[in-house]
Amino acid sequence: MVKISVLQHAPSLHLPTRLGDPTPVSRNLDPLMHPFSRARERTRALNAAKMERMFAKPFVASLEGHVDAVEVLMRKPGDLSTVASGSWDGGIIIHNISMRTHLLRLPRAHKGKVSGLCFTESSRLLSCGVDRNIKMWDTESGSDQPVMVFPGKNAFNSIDHHRSDPVFATASNFIQVWDESKTSAISNLTFPTSTETITSVRFNQSEPSVLASVGSDRTCTLYDIRTGKAERRVVMQFSSNALSWCPTHPTTLLLASEDHNLYTFDIRYLSTPTQIYKAHVAAVMSCEWAPTGLEFVSGGWDRTVRIWKKDKGSGEDVFHGKRMGRVSSTIFTNDARFVISGSDDGNVRVWKANASEKLGVVNARERAAIEYRGKLVERWKMDKEVSKVARTRHLPKPVYQASKLKRTMLEARRVKDERRRKHTREGESKPKAEKRKAVIAEQS
Amino acid sequence: MDSLIAKADAVGPAGKKRKLRHASSSSRPSTDKTFQSISKRTSIPKSLQSSGAISEGAHSYKHIANKKLRTELSRQSARAIEAKALIEDAELLLTGEVGRMEVEGEMDRTWRVGQDEIVQGAGQEGARGRKEWKLEGGPYRSRYTRNGRHLAVVGNTGHVASFDWQAGILHTELQLQETCRDITYLHDHSHFAVAQKKYVFIYDRDGVELHCLKAHIEPTRMEFLPYHWLLATIGNAGYLKYQDTSTGQLLCEHRTKLGSCTAMTQNLHNAVIHLGHQNGTVTLWTPNLPHPAVQLLAHLGPVASVSMDPSQGGRYMATAGKDQTVKVWDCRNWKGAVREWTARGGCAEVEWSARGALAVASGGTVNVYTSPTIHNPVHMNTQPPLYITHPVPHRPLTSLQFAPFQDILTIGHSAGLSSILVPGSGEPNFDSKEADPFENKKARREKEVKALLDKIQPDMITLDPEFVGTLAPPSKLTTETMFDGKPSVEIPFARLPRLERLRVQGKADETEVLSEDEVSGTEVDPEAKARRKEESEKRKMRGKNKSLKRYLRKQRKNVIDPTAVAIRAKMERQKEEQRRAKIAAANGGQNQKPSALDRFKRNT
Repeated sequence: MVKISVLQHAPSLHLPTRLGDPTPVSRNLDPLMHPFSRARERTRALNAAKMERMFAKPFVASLEGHVDAVEVLMRKPGDLSTVASGSWDGGIIIHNISMRTHLLRLPRAHKGKVSGLCFTESSRLLSCGVDRNIKMWDTESGSDQPVMVFPGKNAFNSIDHHRSDPVFATASNFIQVWDESKTSAISNLTFPTSTETITSVRFNQSEPSVLASVGSDRTCTLYDIRTGKAERRVVMQFSSNALSWCPTHPTTLLLASEDHNLYTFDIRYLSTPTQIYKAHVAAVMSCEWAPTGLEFVSGGWDRTVRIWKKDKGSGEDVFHGKRMGRVSSTIFTNDARFVISGSDDGNVRVWKANASEKLGVVNARERAAIEYRGKLVERWKMDKEVSKVARTRHLPKPVYQASKLKRTMLEARRVKDERRRKHTREGESKPKAEKRKAVIAEQS
Repeated sequence: MDSLIAKADAVGPAGKKRKLRHASSSSRPSTDKTFQSISKRTSIPKSLQSSGAISEGAHSYKHIANKKLRTELSRQSARAIEAKALIEDAELLLTGEVGRMEVEGEMDRTWRVGQDEIVQGAGQEGARGRKEWKLEGGPYRSRYTRNGRHLAVVGNTGHVASFDWQAGILHTELQLQETCRDITYLHDHSHFAVAQKKYVFIYDRDGVELHCLKAHIEPTRMEFLPYHWLLATIGNAGYLKYQDTSTGQLLCEHRTKLGSCTAMTQNLHNAVIHLGHQNGTVTLWTPNLPHPAVQLLAHLGPVASVSMDPSQGGRYMATAGKDQTVKVWDCRNWKGAVREWTARGGCAEVEWSARGALAVASGGTVNVYTSPTIHNPVHMNTQPPLYITHPVPHRPLTSLQFAPFQDILTIGHSAGLSSILVPGSGEPNFDSKEADPFENKKARREKEVKALLDKIQPDMITLDPEFVGTLAPPSKLTTETMFDGKPSVEIPFARLPRLERLRVQGKADETEVLSEDEVSGTEVDPEAKARRKEESEKRKMRGKNKSLKRYLRKQRKNVIDPTAVAIRAKMERQKEEQRRAKIAAANGGQNQKPSALDRFKRNT
């Protein structure tokens, strides 16, 4: 007697039962059934990385209207699409970036450049300029006359509003704190020995009475408006152009420095920056955190906008345009999906924060595919080719040449330092970490 | 200001806070038995997951100082273990039943059971596999598609047919009226290639001639590498040629220098082409090597047929020679055949099935042997126990093909083709993502596009396909040239490669190379591995100390200069060290008892 059974596939199990049903899928996860699974996955990862670069079209729109270079941009808190911009000719425009229209145009708001903008609690706009005036505008009525004018003694460089109180601070030779209802400053804040010009001032979002400023004396100073004095300051190698408080981690402060780098500081430990962000090839003119606190944007004198991950000193995304001038101001929108930059050429540009993101409706299958591709690239990022594709960004030729030159120069300097060290007596000149080089002194 | 700092200090870094929460949450569900039973196999909400606890067996990278990297690595290792467990579970879901044939009586033998009896016991659906195609113009060769649904046959005098043998649909039938030596499907049944008298021709499903590949002259055998989209051919002139069928370009041609070749097969798991030659050698080829990766003298006469075992990941190879022997080889170790036996009638054909049954056609019979007995020989030179035998009265038997996902063996002979049932030879569970016998038109098209996107570059074909994604071996090349313990040309630290900079700083993690295998789960004894590594390094050190010796030889003996003295002292020291190490190694093996003779030992 023999027992015989021959392999047979029941068609009922493998064919759709009714017309229009999906064909049943059967899986066998035995690795022998899937030869070259690793090699194929790597190919897929490489393709995914290439597709990500292919779809990377970050530029969304250019908002026109200014006749001179755009100096300052400010988003309206609690509003996804309203952005105010001020320019060198003294004009202010409030844009609706989703409709790409002007909500309000104030062509001659100031004499000379508009140096600072901020929104108040009651959705009024405060602007300051080099004409020594702060003006308050009503954005809803649409009138081109200021609601209120706060005359000052010096040209103003920056303005920022308190998070909850009707108080704002301006920067000139010193910090002035103003009440919205009073036409003269309620207090002046300055570091005792300072004689500098302050370029930028920002309130902390979590502890709203704390504010920080950067100035021409290469300093970054912290003040408290309740005590009414400067708490401490740090003197750096180069002066900073802009600063921004991290919205999610209240002690983290970001500085955009003149030495092409950005620095994050934990204000508890001001002696060294927590991270240096190196890639710009000219002075960084502006910086701002995304509302998520995971990334931030910077704009530079090298005509590029860069988006950085928090605590990741390189590997940033670079945006540039053929006709884009020096970037003087960059902000994130409130939903962290878009980046807005204002530049020398008088245009306000809107960019996607994630360059390869698809705008518009993404259905479930597409989203699954996008997520799978992202995961693949992440999984294979150690592979030479995959990482090269994912990492490489096209740069304009001048920027590329400048970065090459800069790299050569820095390396030469490092090598020279090392040789010098070798020929001095042992222990006399120790190598200094980059982080420690940035700060000269901490004062309080 | 101070309040901000105080608050930030009280909260502490974000990491610590998270850890506390996990500790509390993981302690709670550990008491719940239901939770424990389901938590391994299901995805539970994030809030309930105890991510702090690493699943057992996961590697803990304690030596890594970077906290983020350490967490990420241990998480990856835990995930790999989970995935492995899930794959083991998924085996339970396989529904297909392997065919089998078992005898009950002690004196009964499976090979006594004839095809008629098997057909009777096979059931209606299974019995359809037993077929006799009487065709003129033989001998015939056949080839199945990867999903086993379609069959292409070619007769020696030019009769070509391609058909869906299950549904009985004839795609095309051609009378080419010239000698045809081989046929193969390309990626699926929509294209097939025929090795004709002078060139290789590619036809589409309907038999329309698409391409004439004039670079492939007088082809005798063809293989299609499906994941690389390469058509490999060998001809009478002995040139192995690779044609990329997705781009159409001739990738490379290798001159085998071994003359005409009629035995060719591919290893499905690493896409290496195996060729059997007239002088009895078997050679293994990859596109990026101009010489064979392995050359092996297999037979004392021409090699008639070569086949690779797909069931063991390409571990075993069977060859049949015109010296009337059949040999089974272990591809990891080419020292000798695992088993060899004589097949009467000569000129045997061999073919492995997906589950490791070996079919041998010799003389007028086809014998089938089953898998574990083939390569676990009690006697190396005897035939393995026979599983099935089937006489075919139409000599010569020119081809054997197992149908994928079926228990069917198709035999090509001079009077056409006959397919017989071999229970237990076919893989019962197919994967729709790889090859699906029941796929419809849309699925086939989609698969074609996907396969093109996943095409592997031909230069990635190597003997070991698992090298992709593994760590690169540490480089033997170093930028520093040492002389007398000191670098002769000093390279500034800033210009050293990253790994060497880390090494100088003492931050390089060299332990990773060893621990890699433990994580991946291959059962390698770490000690043995370390020993092997040591040995290979030792062997690598050719001409040890030669330069120093030469230096001393060149120096005049009576001149005492400080370098020569230093070098002599150094060599003495090295010799001493080696001697000490040797003694330590001799003693280290067994625990030496103190003996009375110890006092005569030299103090070292």
